[in-house]
Amino acid sequence: MKILLVEDNERVSQFVIKGLQEAGHTTDHAANGRDGMFLAASEPYDVIIMDRMLPGDIDGLAIIEVLRKAGKRTPILILSALSEVDDRIRGLRSGGDDYLTKPFAFGELLARIDALHRRAEGVDHEIPLTVGDLHVDPLTRKVTRGDRPITLQPREFKLLEYLMRHAGQVVTRTMLLENVWDYHFDPQTNVVDVHISKLRQKIDAEFERPLLKTVRNAGYMVTAGD
Amino acid sequence: MIRSSALSLALGYVALGLTALVLFAAPLWYAWQVTIQDGRAEILQADAQRLTDIYKRDGADAVKTFIDTRVSMQIAGERILLLTDASLHPLAGNLHAWPATVPQTAGNYTIPVKGNNGDQQTLVHVATLGSDYLLVGRDNALFQPLQTRFWYGLSAAVAVLCIAGLLVGLITRRALMSRVHSIRQTVSAIIHGDLKHRLPTHLSDDELNTLSLTINGMLDQIELLVHGVRNVSNSIAHDLRTPLAELRSRLEELSLIRPSTEETYAEIDGAVADVDRVIRIFDALLRLAEIDAGMRRSGFVSLDVSDLAANAVEFYEPAAELKDIDLRMRSNGPLLVSADPVLLAQALSNLIDNALKYAPLRGSIEVAVQKLDDLRAEISVSDNGPGIDDEEKTKVMQRFYRGDASRGTPGVGLGLSLVQAVAKLHGSTLELRDNGPGLRVVMTVPIEPSGASLRDAQQPALPASEVVAPPTLASLP
Repeated sequence: MKILLVEDNERVSQFVIKGLQEAGHTTDHAANGRDGMFLAASEPYDVIIMDRMLPGDIDGLAIIEVLRKAGKRTPILILSALSEVDDRIRGLRSGGDDYLTKPFAFGELLARIDALHRRAEGVDHEIPLTVGDLHVDPLTRKVTRGDRPITLQPREFKLLEYLMRHAGQVVTRTMLLENVWDYHFDPQTNVVDVHISKLRQKIDAEFERPLLKTVRNAGYMVTAGD
Repeated sequence: MIRSSALSLALGYVALGLTALVLFAAPLWYAWQVTIQDGRAEILQADAQRLTDIYKRDGADAVKTFIDTRVSMQIAGERILLLTDASLHPLAGNLHAWPATVPQTAGNYTIPVKGNNGDQQTLVHVATLGSDYLLVGRDNALFQPLQTRFWYGLSAAVAVLCIAGLLVGLITRRALMSRVHSIRQTVSAIIHGDLKHRLPTHLSDDELNTLSLTINGMLDQIELLVHGVRNVSNSIAHDLRTPLAELRSRLEELSLIRPSTEETYAEIDGAVADVDRVIRIFDALLRLAEIDAGMRRSGFVSLDVSDLAANAVEFYEPAAELKDIDLRMRSNGPLLVSADPVLLAQALSNLIDNALKYAPLRGSIEVAVQKLDDLRAEISVSDNGPGIDDEEKTKVMQRFYRGDASRGTPGVGLGLSLVQAVAKLHGSTLELRDNGPGLRVVMTVPIEPSGASLRDAQQPALPASEVVAPPTLASLP
């Protein structure tokens, strides 16, 4: 993936660039709004990571608005030290696709970038999802593993569907809270883990190969590989 | 001096008094002058008439003799008498010549006459006696003392008015200044940080006292708030310091001991967890401040509180199963309220989370939503745990307070404070009731006023995503 990082803090920039590099992505970096705007408008990127507050006269939200008006559809993740719900809404209204509050865990950033990229590639809500021998049909809401049908509660289905759509990618607990339960706050408990282990009971327990894996310090991933 | 309000007020009153005095004296003076003038004319006419009578009875010589007698008898200047022949040659009297300004026709005229105080306008009467001319006049000496006394009286009144006004002004100013001064001293003590001072007041309801009482009320409120802030910042200091201290010693130890790689990584993970704990406290505090500032009122939408509660119950269901707790939901169908979906969900989640912490194994928790009256919906979370003592009930809602029972359980001690702040934002108080046994936490939210019709109520509740994020974000996988 080719990623543009617009961020003025040097330490954060280094940390992000290094992490993205290790994950196999190429990263361009702009340390102020002017350079960021220029690069974002002229180069093709898969994802843009935009700090909200930038030095100089152009701030992150202004750049996003300009890009969107110019017809650029590149997925944009907003980084911000402002965590209030209203700030988040404002950020997303300006044309951003996701919002991450500083300080953040790198795993969270990476997982969200992957999700944004996958989403931009287009999602067909009707085609059945398959990972290994696990099949999920979003239309009929039928789940089967091998030949065996699996009965899921509606919320369990939503959870599995979300994981399946991001198969091969790390999905963080926060992403699950936001997208499966629509909870935009930290419940400060491990309830998500409990939901996952319940789901695991149903789809993995009686099978040789587990598909739903825990990624340490990051989240979960559904994958047929190791 | 002039800028003192008391003094300028007094001067204003003095000016008003002077105006009243003038308005009273001027007509009086005028009426008096007119009366005197008329009286004089009458007297002069009578004098002239008497001389005319003498002339008619005894002839010109008798008049001359009479005038001479009169002039010799009288104190000079009191009365003016002059008799002249046809060519204005003086025959008798105390004037040396006929005044140039007076014509030789009968009537009243005014001429200047030399007196003790210089020239004085004096009224004279002219009459003709055959071919002779007669001039009779009296100077003002008779009325002079009266006039003088009038002026003295008036001046004295003006002087008393001015002096009294000035004195009252100065005294009032002094009294006012001394009270303002004491207020100023108190206020400057408060400015320098001692909020315990109060303005001096007494048992009267004058303006300054009323003002002082109001300001004292304000100071009470400010002191309460500052006290609250101080408490909170002390608690923040304590609760942030503890994990920061742990983090610091962990890192320092790592730097000193330099353990094996594997151990180092474990320690680093621990340090990251410490930092996350600090961030969590920080976020919770920011959220609290955000709610306290009332900024989130903009997030109010119409939503089905039963649906919101059912979702929260469903979310915690697996966690309850782990402890074999019976987590139930009780409601009478959809109930539209006006509330902030994010905050209400968070508050409810905090309450259920708390209940899960304190309910015993195989215990029970009930989340209930019901219509209290036409205006309010009641949300309650009850458990059959140990409950809370009455004296501890107020304490648990204080920020960072953690009861003895909660020691050793995860949490930052802000949960109930947040629920309380959310309740306050929704115009309700948070009530902690006995559930016999256990705790029952109750709050209310306002029922949606117009949209509470049956048709609306049967529609699915507004998804929170419409407020929090564009639908694309939350609904797309």
